[in-house]
Amino acid sequence: MSTLHTISKSPKSQLLSECLTLVDKGDGILFIEDGVYYCANSKVSDDFESDVTWYGLKEDLDARGLKLDDIKTIKIINYQIFVEMCEEFDKVISWF
Amino acid sequence: MNELQKQTFTFISRIAPYGSNRPQLCLDTALAAAVFEQQVNYVFMEDGVYQLLKNQDAEAIHTKTIGKTLETLDLYGIGNTYVCKESLESRGLSLGDLVIKPKLTNGDELKTVLNSSDTVINL
Repeated sequence: MSTLHTISKSPKSQLLSECLTLVDKGDGILFIEDGVYYCANSKVSDDFESDVTWYGLKEDLDARGLKLDDIKTIKIINYQIFVEMCEEFDKVISWF
Repeated sequence: MNELQKQTFTFISRIAPYGSNRPQLCLDTALAAAVFEQQVNYVFMEDGVYQLLKNQDAEAIHTKTIGKTLETLDLYGIGNTYVCKESLESRGLSLGDLVIKPKLTNGDELKTVLNSSDTVINL
């Protein structure tokens, strides 16, 4: 059983720490909308746990002018892959 | 679908009771699911634990008192209620402060609840 968690508010919201309480090994965490600012903060993203897969939505990153070429902990995905992931994971939990 | 299939729904309520309508919406959705005889789990965490405090009276702000509705959860067939231990303790609260007696659960136990659910609604 694995779950995709989507986070859609900026780090000010503390959503990630709330979410991590319930994240299990093998889950994925995807930053969308203002959640992509989590990816932009390397102090935060360096600490991302490795038993979870981290994703950022390209369209939202591009819209906000965020470049993540040097951040290897986050996989950049587009809407198409987002849709496929919703199918592949057992369920999606949205954090907002 | 020829007949209504029974699924397990878990609702997570993380917001304080009267600042927005999200806690009420979460509750209404859970009650609706229970009416359709679905298996319902209800989890209170973060500021959502404030919904459970005794002695609420929202008449002064012209709103329904959420605490009173929560007392009826069992009546509606929602017996599986959970409260996040860490969220409760970090707010200086204990089970004795609450209108119902949810299961006191830590993060790992809540993960098990989520893993056993077909759908999780996080409001």
